[in-house]
This record gives sequence, C-alpha cells and structure tokens, in this order.
Amino acid sequence: MSHSRRDFLRRSGCAALSMAALATNMRHFGLVDAMAQQNADAPPDYRALVCIFLNGGNDGNNTVVPNHTAGYAQYSAARAAQGLAIPQASLLPITPPSIGLNFGLHPNLTELKTLWDQQKLAIVTNAGPLVQPLTRAQYQAGMPRPMQLFSHSDQSNQHRTAISATAATTGWGGRMADRTGALNPGAAIAMVTSVNGTSLFTAGNTTTPLVVAPAPTPLNQVFALNGFVTGNGEDNARRASMDLIRMMDADRTLVRAASDLTQQAVSVSTQLSSDPPLTVTFPNTTLGNQLKQVAKLMKFHTQLNMSRQIFYVQSAAMFDTHTSQLSRQAPLMVELSQAMKAFYDETVAQGIASQVTTFSLSDFSRTLNPTGTGSGAGSDHAWGNHVFVMGGAVRGGDFYGTPGPNGTVFPTLVGGGPDDTDTRGRFIPTTSVEMFAATLASWYGVATADIPLVFPYINNFPTANLGFMM
Amino acid sequence: MNKNFPDGSGVRLLKLMCACAVILMCASLGAARNVPGVPVLISDDVSTRALAVNSATWRPGRLPTPTQVVWPAGSDMRVTLFVTNLDLMPGEGANAFRVDAQTESGRRYYLSVESLNALPNYDWIYAVTLRLNPDVGDAGDVLVRLNWRGMASNRVRLAVGHAGGGLSDDPGAIPTPAPTVRPKVGEPIQGDLNRVAPPFAGDNVRFLEQATFGTTFNSELHLRRIGIQRWLEEQTSPKFDTNSNPRYSSLPYPSFTIMPTNIPTSCTGACLRDNYTMYKLQNWMFQEAMYGEDQQLRRRVSWALSQILVVSGRDTQQLGYMLPYVKILDRNAFGNFRDLLYELTLNPAMGNYLDMMRSTNANPNENYGREILQLFSVGLNLLKKDGTPKLDQNGNRIPTYDQNTINNFTKVFTGWQLCNAGCPASQPGLLNYIDPMKVDPSLHDTSQKTLLNYSGAIPTIPAGLSPDEDLNLALDNIFYHPNVPPFISRALIQQLVTSNPTPAYVQRVATVFENNGQGVRGDLRAVVVAILLDPEARGDIKTDPDYGKLREPLLYVTSILRAFDPRSGTRTTLSDGVINGITQGLDQDVFNPPTVFSYYPPDFEVPNSAIVGPEYAILTTGTALKRPNFANQMIFAGATGGIPANANNNIPNGTSITMDRMQALAAADPTGGQLVDMLNRLMMHGSMSASMRSSIMQAVQAVAPANTLKRAQTAVYLVATSSQYEVQR
Repeated sequence: MSHSRRDFLRRSGCAALSMAALATNMRHFGLVDAMAQQNADAPPDYRALVCIFLNGGNDGNNTVVPNHTAGYAQYSAARAAQGLAIPQASLLPITPPSIGLNFGLHPNLTELKTLWDQQKLAIVTNAGPLVQPLTRAQYQAGMPRPMQLFSHSDQSNQHRTAISATAATTGWGGRMADRTGALNPGAAIAMVTSVNGTSLFTAGNTTTPLVVAPAPTPLNQVFALNGFVTGNGEDNARRASMDLIRMMDADRTLVRAASDLTQQAVSVSTQLSSDPPLTVTFPNTTLGNQLKQVAKLMKFHTQLNMSRQIFYVQSAAMFDTHTSQLSRQAPLMVELSQAMKAFYDETVAQGIASQVTTFSLSDFSRTLNPTGTGSGAGSDHAWGNHVFVMGGAVRGGDFYGTPGPNGTVFPTLVGGGPDDTDTRGRFIPTTSVEMFAATLASWYGVATADIPLVFPYINNFPTANLGFMM
Repeated sequence: MNKNFPDGSGVRLLKLMCACAVILMCASLGAARNVPGVPVLISDDVSTRALAVNSATWRPGRLPTPTQVVWPAGSDMRVTLFVTNLDLMPGEGANAFRVDAQTESGRRYYLSVESLNALPNYDWIYAVTLRLNPDVGDAGDVLVRLNWRGMASNRVRLAVGHAGGGLSDDPGAIPTPAPTVRPKVGEPIQGDLNRVAPPFAGDNVRFLEQATFGTTFNSELHLRRIGIQRWLEEQTSPKFDTNSNPRYSSLPYPSFTIMPTNIPTSCTGACLRDNYTMYKLQNWMFQEAMYGEDQQLRRRVSWALSQILVVSGRDTQQLGYMLPYVKILDRNAFGNFRDLLYELTLNPAMGNYLDMMRSTNANPNENYGREILQLFSVGLNLLKKDGTPKLDQNGNRIPTYDQNTINNFTKVFTGWQLCNAGCPASQPGLLNYIDPMKVDPSLHDTSQKTLLNYSGAIPTIPAGLSPDEDLNLALDNIFYHPNVPPFISRALIQQLVTSNPTPAYVQRVATVFENNGQGVRGDLRAVVVAILLDPEARGDIKTDPDYGKLREPLLYVTSILRAFDPRSGTRTTLSDGVINGITQGLDQDVFNPPTVFSYYPPDFEVPNSAIVGPEYAILTTGTALKRPNFANQMIFAGATGGIPANANNNIPNGTSITMDRMQALAAADPTGGQLVDMLNRLMMHGSMSASMRSSIMQAVQAVAPANTLKRAQTAVYLVATSSQYEVQR
C-alpha cells in the first residue's frame, strides 16, 4: 500500500519536471544572473519559507473545482441549487498531469493561474490535520482523529503545530528553527518572523519569533523608540535607567516576559536602520502589505547574516463564510492571488525565487453542502483542504497528495460519499499536515533524523516527502 | 479648583493636599490589620535544607527527624514537605498551592501538589505531599518554593540526584525549623521573609487596578475613606437617571440614527463616521473609562464580558446595530448569566455575527450552535469544579460535546429573525437591530433535539415544542452544565485579577456562581464580588512569581490617563475620548475584535514559560515599543496635549494629562524621593523594588532641580514604560 503511494508520488513529481518547466527556468536564468551580480555576496544556500494563513477557513471547494464532466456534475449537484456553485465557464482551467483530468481555479485567481502555467505553483489536495490515516468507515467507527474537529481555534492551531492529537504549545515553524539554528551562524535577528502578531506557528521550544508591523510602516520605523534626543544628558540618563529597569525583577515571570520582548525589539531596532526599496509594486491589501514587509526583510538577508528564514503572514479573519460566500470569497481570492504573484515577482527580482517557498494554510475547508440559499448561501466548518505551494523550487503545475478512495488525490465531491465524515461534505483528509510540512522542512534543511523530532507523528503516515519540492 | 485661585494659592493648596495625602497614607500604613500569613516551608535546624520525607514510608502523626535525603533523579515519586503559618479556609486544600523547584540553570519546574494535611498533634503544621518532576534530572540541590494566595514561601533545598550544588540560598534566608509550640496570632514566624511590615496599605490601589480602569488620586482617597465593602455596594447598587429609569452607564450612550443598509450617497464625512463606524461608541467607551466614576466596576465587567461573549463591530454595519449588544452586557453585568445568555442569543447583532438570524429548518447554520458552547458557556473539555480538566483513564481530556451535539443545538436556534415589522422599533425599509429577534415558527426545526448530557441534565427536547420553549430548555441545558461555573469564573478572574489563578481560587468563585448563598445560580454580581474579595486577589504585595496579568492595551492606556487627570488637549474641557487610534495600534481595536475569539486566547502561553498570559498574544516585538511611545506622546506633550485636537482628523477636543501634582512633589524634594514614592503608590500600589526606585531617582537627579516639569516627566515615563507597571500584580 505505502509502496504504491510512494510510486505514485514519484510519478507525479517527475511529471512536474516537464519541458515547459525547464524552458521557463531557462528564461529566468538571465534575470537571476543579473540580480546575482547585485547580490554578489549573497549566501549561496539562502532558503526561506513563507506561510500565508487564510484566517477563518477558506472554502477549498470553490477554490479548486473539478472541470471535467463527471466531477463538475457532482459539484454542481451539491451546490448549484442553493446558489453556491461557480459557473463552469468562469473557472480558470488547469490540468494536473498526474490525474489527467481538467480542473479549474476560482475565477479570481488569475495570477495564480499564470504561476501554475509557469509551473511555479503546485497544489496539495485534501490535506489537513490527522492523527493517523483515516477512512470514512474508520472515522465512523470512532478511530483516532484530531481533537475538537471543526472548531476554528483547534483546527487552525493543528495546521500551525502539525500536531493534532493533543493541544501543542509549539508550532512547526518554531520547531524547524529550533533544529536548524546551526544553518544560521551569526544571524542578527531571530530566524522566525511574523508580520501578523504572535502565532503558534512561529513558537518553538527555544525560538522566540520576531514580530514586525506590516508595510506601509517603513522597516526602519518598526522598532523606533521615540522621545530621546541624541546627546542630551537628561535623556541619556533616562534611557540608561529605562534599560536598567528592564533587567530588574526578572524573577517575576510576567514582568520578565514583557521585558524580554521589549528588549528584543530594542535590540533589533539597531539592526534595521534603513528601509530598502523594492522592485515590484505590491497591492495595498492586508496580505500585500505583509508580504511586502517580508520581501524587504529578505532583501536584508545578507547584511543580517540570515541563511535561513521562516516568515508568517495572515489574512484578515474574513474567510469564515457562513453566509454570502460567493460575494465575500471573491475579493479574498483577488487579494490572495495578487499578493502572492507580487511577492513571487519580487523574489525573482531579488534573484532568490528558487530559494523562497511560499505556501497557504487555513483553519479548514468548508462543507460541500451549503447553508442558506441564493446570494446569502454560505458553508459551515469542514476539514480537508487544498494547499497552494509557490516558488522556483516547487515542482509546479500539478496536484500532490495521497490518493483517496477514488484513486486520485482529489476527493469525491459528494455529501455522504466515500471521503465524507457524515452527509454534508466534510472531507476526511488523505494527506496530513505533517506530510506536507515535512516535505517543506526537508527542503529547508531539517536533517532527516530530525524530521520526527519536528513532526512527532510523522511515522504514523506513509511518507515524509510528497515530492513537490525539487 | 485651580481656576478659583488665579494668584497661585491653588498650587499651594494642591501642595498641601499632596502632603496631607502622604501623611494619611502613612497613618493607614501604621494601622493594625489582620494579614493572612505567608507560608513558611520548614527546614532542618541548621540550614535551609527542607524537612522532607518519602511519602510512601512516612507515617503522619509526628514530625520526622531531619535527615538529609537524596531523591532519585528523573523520578515522579511522592515527597512530603512541611509548611506552617497557613490560615486555611474551610475546604481549602491541595489545589490552593503551587510548588516550583528551581535548578542551578535557573529553570523552574512545577511539582504537582497532591495533598495537604495538618499534623494531628501539631495542627499549625501541615504535611504537603508533592510529586517530584521527572524532568528535573540529576540537578543536585534545587530550591523549592510554595505559593499560596499569591504569596511565596521561603525557599528550601531539596537534593535531587545528588546533594550539593544548585543555586545559592536567597538573600536573607535562614533555617526555619518547625515551631514546636503553637505560634501566637500575629506573631511573625521565623523565616517569613516576604512579609511586608507593617501591614500593607497598597491593597486599596491594587483593588482599584482590578476593579476600575485605573487609579485616580480621588478614587484612591474615596476608597480609603469608605473601604472596599462599601465601595462594592456603591458600585453595584442600582442607579437611576433623572426620570427614575435604571441607568447602566455614567455618561449618556452615544446617540444614533438607524440608517439604510445601503449607504445613501449623501451620507459622507461625519454622517458616515457616526452611523456606519464604531467611532462614537469607542469615544464613549474611553470617556466612560476616564470619567464614569459611579459605573467603573460595571464598565470593567461589561468590557470583560465583551471579550468572552463576543460580537465584533467589524461585522456589524452600524453603531445603532452594535449599541443594543453593549447595553445587554451593561444591564446584565451584575445580573444573572442565564438572562445574559438569553438576551444575547436573541440580540440581532449576535444573530448577524454568528449567523443565527439566517439559520432555518431547511438551511441550518451551525455557527451559533458551535460558538455558544465552545466560547460562551461550557468550553471544549469537561472541567472539574476548580477549572482543571477532567481526564479519562488514559489521562486524556474529555470533550464536552461532539459534532452531533452541535447539529442538535443548531436545530434549536433555527427560525429566529429580525423583527422588521410589528415590533416597537420596527421601521419601514430599515432593519430592526434594536428589538430582540422574533421567531417565524414555520422556519423552526421542531424535531427532537438531543443536547448535553450530565448528571441532572434534561438532555432531550421532545419534538413539537414551540421555538421559545426549545430555546429556553436548550439554554437551561447549557446553563446547568457543571462546566459553566468554572469556565466563566476563570475567564472573569483572568480578565480582572490574574492570568493563572490557582484552581482553589477558581473553585471558590465557581461555588458562588453555582449558588450565591440564596440558592441562585449565575448571579454575576456575587461572582464579581467573590473574585475581588478573594484572598488570592487581596492581601499583601503578591510575591508568587507567576502572579498577575499583563495590562491589556485599553487598560494600559486608561490607567496612565486616569492617574494624571485626563482632559482635552488644551485642558479647557473634557477629553473627547478619541483614543482608539492608540489601542488599535496595540492590536486592541475597541469593540472591533478580529474574531469571535476576541483579541487574545485565554490559554495563550507566555513565551519561555509554562504559564498562560492571554494578553501576551498581542504583546510582540511589533507592539512592545508602541507602549513606551504612547507614554512618551502623553507625558512629554506640548501645550496642545499628547493627542492634540484636530477637526480634520475627527479629534474635536484631544486628550492631555498633567504633571502638576508630580511637579509639586518634585519641587518639594530635590532628591526625587517623594515624587517616586507617590508614583509607586499611585501606579504600582507600593510594589516597586528598591533598585527600581533608586534607578528612577538617579535619572530624576540628572535633570536640574529647577526643571520640575522634566523631573516629573522623567519619573512618570520610567514608571509607565516599565514592565513592572505593564504587569498588574
């Protein structure tokens, strides 16, 4: 069983290395060379991961839609009557070679369609938190499953922690950093940066993330401490006292935690003393401004001595479309697509496109069967979802994952069907978060022996590498 | 008052008042008060080595003879230590204590406390049985401390793996052998290092930190005059407006007009701002916090409830849609939790936010059914009465409900809709967010519902009942679930007092939630009073290292403002309350939380610790420096104030604070000592360490004595920006 899965994965990986991909790469080489001269002293092994969290639970069923006759018919049967189906003609057609059937992206994912065509974008299908592989029969028989299924807080944290059986207190971004510090000698700032406040994804056992404000705050003003005039003796004395007080009363846990965070911010302020210009114009959106700040920090990776970096950005909590989903999800798809494309283009301009891999996560997908009707139609909390992976090192233009009951990596869109937990189309993932995450971790540089330490449940699953990374 | 004394005598009067206040303070410091003891761990006769025995072989009855024992490394065996100077309430036992052991590396480990029993022949000495923490390893000597009601004991040595090594004894530590005769009441026990002597007067100020939006000079005077009990009665007694109608806010609620959902093209500028954003509600909130003296506690509790039973203005189109929700919280802040649940369930803003108003028998929507259980009442896992999770035989938590339960609650909540016609506030062409939602029985699922099951539950609603009967039976099914008292009590304690209450504290409050003493369950007034009067909230300066909570942005901002007489930018009138721009930058956009989980999760773990600190979820390197920058903006402001009036920026009056009082103290004492002592009292309830005090005085003394303004500013800035102040302890 697991052999055939691996074979399948190998096949789908090879398919991604098509001639078209090679040609695209060749075209980019000229640009990369030009940029490399500007960054002549760039560490040759720079690698970065960027997590984009779609807060609220993005409906995967309207993000990637079957576009072949039988598949669209099932989708339409479940959604059209209540007004939640996207018309087939408006889908952006894609054909994953490993399946050989037509699918379609949400009509507003224009830029991602371009990246798919350039084989810079792959999709891991029907992925989600699992404790161990699980079939519908096993689910209904009560076999182990993630705790508190379908709850926002729990499922989103299970994506961030890649641990589903218990409430974990560290995330897989943070744990990767715990294990790869040696790859980052002389790093001037924390390996992990969040541009959206604290996230469990970024918390390690020994890693404390840097948190920066998004653009338009200039990078050199993110950590400004106001009110001290250089050379003023009174101000100097006040500043000296302030710095000293921050060291005091460290035996009080909460006082110390606040002091440590403040100290970290004060320390970084000396490292980020300018605001680098970017080549690409980013959209002025939540995700656009966060990814813009990531791109600026990446531009400093050489001077900050960073060979490995992990970033976390997060959308506004708009994806929880219990109602009016068609009109509410549409602009979110525009925002996601445009922001990701701008970011990808900027990594090309910086000459690091194949050293940066960007991926999306969300709380969960949403029920196939709608709630409400007409323009008010929405969907409830579900489970397995489709994940975007973008970058020059991605074997793009294909689907990845583990085949389910229908023999493909894409679930059967039928309420009460072979992939469903119950009757409303909450699909049981066939690929776990850790399988997906471990694939990225290996590319990032986590040693094979360390993979089970970062992903404690990985050995419950058939593979730690889904093959979507070169 | 200054206005009446243009010749400057007002300033002299002010100085006199300050001096009087200091004297009064000293007087109250000297007053005798019955303080609970600080626990004292018993050592041998000649060192700080713990008196400790193997629980498996020790027989209670008499004190053991001190012998040095080396406890095995990596073990979780039971060890019994001995503690004295406790004054236990009935029922107070093991879950009132937290024990930690610190190794030479500085890392602290928690040792679970399994039992606590008075020795039969020495009832002033208790045997406390712990489990060693296997993570400690072969550490050598560790320093063990016991925390009770926020008070830390002395630390004694325990040898793990091998004897010797470890941290040095704490400064001033002495042997604390067992007192073999019963100590007299009030007599200090040897080794009681942490006692504040004479009895602590700062408790009043700390009370105000827990119960209000910050201590003001006058509120502290008032509380000192009437005492905490009467203050609570004052605040929780019914208030009436001039028409004898009940009044739940100090300042009038913001006025509003219900507008069409499609914004008229003519509605721009102020019309848009006032009707289609939370601008006026936010300003009112800040004004209430700054000036609403007779409703401080109600406002604080209502604000806490708004973070537990959440509706966000982000998804609520109009001020007039949001205000009824806020009024429900205000009205029920000292009312009954069952009424609060009922009113919120039928509140249109909630109906919109969590989609109940769109959930019908043909098209059920699970959103409200899920969140009312997970967030508003019972929570995800079964709890003991003390708020700790129940575990199954494998040591796993036990879910309170499953998807099937949610499906059934979802059926209960079907059919309720806005009352756009026929209700008192119905208006043609407009949505009625004022009146409670009304049911359309034809859209209600009348089938049987299977709800939460627990001892004493009515777990099934038979088919065919009316929608309102369904609703009331379902809310009763939730309300009487044994999880509700600890779940809501713990959440409120975290909001008001401390992020990591002992289970015993939660249990004491949950007991009051279950029964207010008159047989009433869910009396929030009684719950709030129990939270604030609990010995874990009151008493001496808290020395438990894990005690307290980070001031959330709103409280950080209002506490600084209230301490220094906030007024308009040029101080001619009141502040307009346009302050949300500050808290928004600190990730607390008032009444606009980002999700139904509000601003931060209650179980957020403080980085590099094993305790929770919800507010730390939004204290990051990205926001940490915005706090001192706000302090700088207000304290070192020019003549137009820290937030100057700016009509183009929707700031009609602006906001400023004054250093007047502090300048008077700076002038009175060239060392800066009086100035810093006043700030210590007003802002830190006397908990400032000597080293912090001396550092601030040094910075003050770097400023020329004549420049009393900058001296005052320097001291206030250094206190306001310190983590010691940011954390309410």
